[in-house]
Amino acid sequence: MTDPSTATPPGGTVIHDLGYRPYTGARVGPGAIARALTLTGFRNAFGLGRSGKSKVLPFILLALNLLPAVIVGGVLAFADLDRLPIGYAQYASSTQVLLGIFVASQAPVLFSRDLRHGTISLYLARPLRSSTYALARWAALLGATLVFLLLPVLILYAVALLRELGVGEQTRQAGIALGMAVLLALSLAGVSGLIASWSTRRGFAVVATIALLVVGNGVVTAIQGISEDQGRPVVGEVAGLFSPYSLYRGLMGAWTDVRVPTPPSSTGMVLAYVAVFVGLSVGCVAALLWRYRRVATA
Amino acid sequence: MGRHGGRTRFGGLSEPAPDAARGPRAGTGQPATGAPATGAPATGQPATGQPGGTAVVRVDGLTKDYGSVLALDSLTLDIGGGTTGLVGANGAGKSTLLKLLLGLIPPTGGRAEVLGHDIATEGEAIRAAVGYLPEHDCLPPDVSASDFVVHMAMVSGLPRVAARERAAEVLRHVGLAEERYRPMGGYSTGMKQKAKLAQALAHDPRLVLLDEPTNGLDPAAREEMLGLVRRIGHDFGIAVIVTSHLLGELERVSDNVVVLDGGRLLRASRTDEFLDATGVLLLEVLGDDAQARMTAALTAAGVAAAPRGAMITVDAAEGAVDVRDLIRDTASDLGLGLVRLQVDHRRIEDVFADADADGDGDGDGDAAHAAPRSAP
Repeated sequence: MTDPSTATPPGGTVIHDLGYRPYTGARVGPGAIARALTLTGFRNAFGLGRSGKSKVLPFILLALNLLPAVIVGGVLAFADLDRLPIGYAQYASSTQVLLGIFVASQAPVLFSRDLRHGTISLYLARPLRSSTYALARWAALLGATLVFLLLPVLILYAVALLRELGVGEQTRQAGIALGMAVLLALSLAGVSGLIASWSTRRGFAVVATIALLVVGNGVVTAIQGISEDQGRPVVGEVAGLFSPYSLYRGLMGAWTDVRVPTPPSSTGMVLAYVAVFVGLSVGCVAALLWRYRRVATA
Repeated sequence: MGRHGGRTRFGGLSEPAPDAARGPRAGTGQPATGAPATGAPATGQPATGQPGGTAVVRVDGLTKDYGSVLALDSLTLDIGGGTTGLVGANGAGKSTLLKLLLGLIPPTGGRAEVLGHDIATEGEAIRAAVGYLPEHDCLPPDVSASDFVVHMAMVSGLPRVAARERAAEVLRHVGLAEERYRPMGGYSTGMKQKAKLAQALAHDPRLVLLDEPTNGLDPAAREEMLGLVRRIGHDFGIAVIVTSHLLGELERVSDNVVVLDGGRLLRASRTDEFLDATGVLLLEVLGDDAQARMTAALTAAGVAAAPRGAMITVDAAEGAVDVRDLIRDTASDLGLGLVRLQVDHRRIEDVFADADADGDGDGDGDAAHAAPRSAP
């Protein structure tokens, strides 16, 4: 073994230089770093930039989610209908199980995966605050959820315009659906992201999220059905505040002409629905930030 | 010369004044009191009088108290460029020190600067210029090394195109060839360590912190990793702080060695000071009954010589005679082939064996098990 200190003459140039070149170019700031992290997270949520196997589930779910919209488009092309067979806003409510599975299965990709494999310590060792990391991951999940929610709306809207169903009314309806989709995506990204950030095991996060979204919605729906039957809609209206899907359904009943059980009947109740929707999202993001501050200093 | 031309290759290292008032764990109650510059006398002065401003890391009275564990106990030292080995048993405070230096966890007391940035307030500036290889697994299994290193370079502040170029280059340097396009879940431990090293180098840091890079590697992969660490420090011009609990590894790659024990500095000095020549030459000769004849001839010539294994040790410490010339001539006269003649270096372990023998006499010869004591 040669003495390592003689491998390179002190201070001298190295003839057997193997070509390590220092990087002298520009370095970007925290904003661009956060954007890069968000974009990669968004791609990862659909399995892009990951193994082939991990693309299967998100794309199957996306295809299933788009299938009804494509069928509606086909029907509309041949049948002579003067309106869409399914409303823009109603679409997300009809495919809510697919949506639930999508956020439940892909939130762990963005949150649990880094915790489970220890990658989080690499991110925290970069010029990146824990809050920036948490927000970038959340934004990636929000973006993926919005794509999932809005692609079918976009297809329906395009079909409606091609069939010349009345640009003004269709645009208004699609606009309402867009606003509601944003509200729903905000809350779903918050809830599923928060659950995934507390779980290093993907399976646990998936089950917990689906249980919360689907089972929670099932309970609320049952209460709403009973309260409508019993002629006491207020109970159903209040119960609707306790699940993202029932919040969405309630606002759909208030803002569109879709018939739903026990929609919020007063303006105050509609405002309460919106406030709970927004508050749930904000609360989840705050909890996410707190969670990652804990992770960073642990 | 490159950008690091001005730095000294030597880390000026100082040792803390022993604080007799507290035992090894007694500081738990009032952690921050022993803190900054005004604290213990005669600390923080580079013992070697090197020019100021060249230290990569300056640590002054740094303390980290986790409540149940006092991980670092008012540590004071300077670390210069080149490769610095950080040795200590599990729980000696190595990983805690690295996390503190990255600005990831706040110190309980004291202060430290990395590349001129304060760890308490400028953590992001530090992390932009420092690469980190953690001790534990940190690679997502479903991403290829190529994609991952590009991503980590971008997250460290490189634009996309530059990140691609850097990733390709760094992966070539660490020796990941075609396998860089496969998901990392299928990698061997050696390949994983290379990928971890690549991500630490991706943004061309000025300092890399390598936490046990040889952990879990087989001997061949260990050699390769040590070779890489040596190249990073010597050829890439990047300062390296590398931890290990194996002294023998650090002895070969590092210019300086810092020994931590129970959160305190046990010793910090240049590696070659650890390995002071013992004044003994080792020589190996070839021929009929070579060893015995050579030993007898040397002894007859008045030089203390004794067989050791297949070699002969020759005491060259005293006497005006040039022992090397004598050995050459003796071998020539006896018609023996002189295969090897080298200075007998001590190993770092020997230093601790001595310290143990001098200190408390438990003499188990292993620094990792040495009892906590103040710096020698």
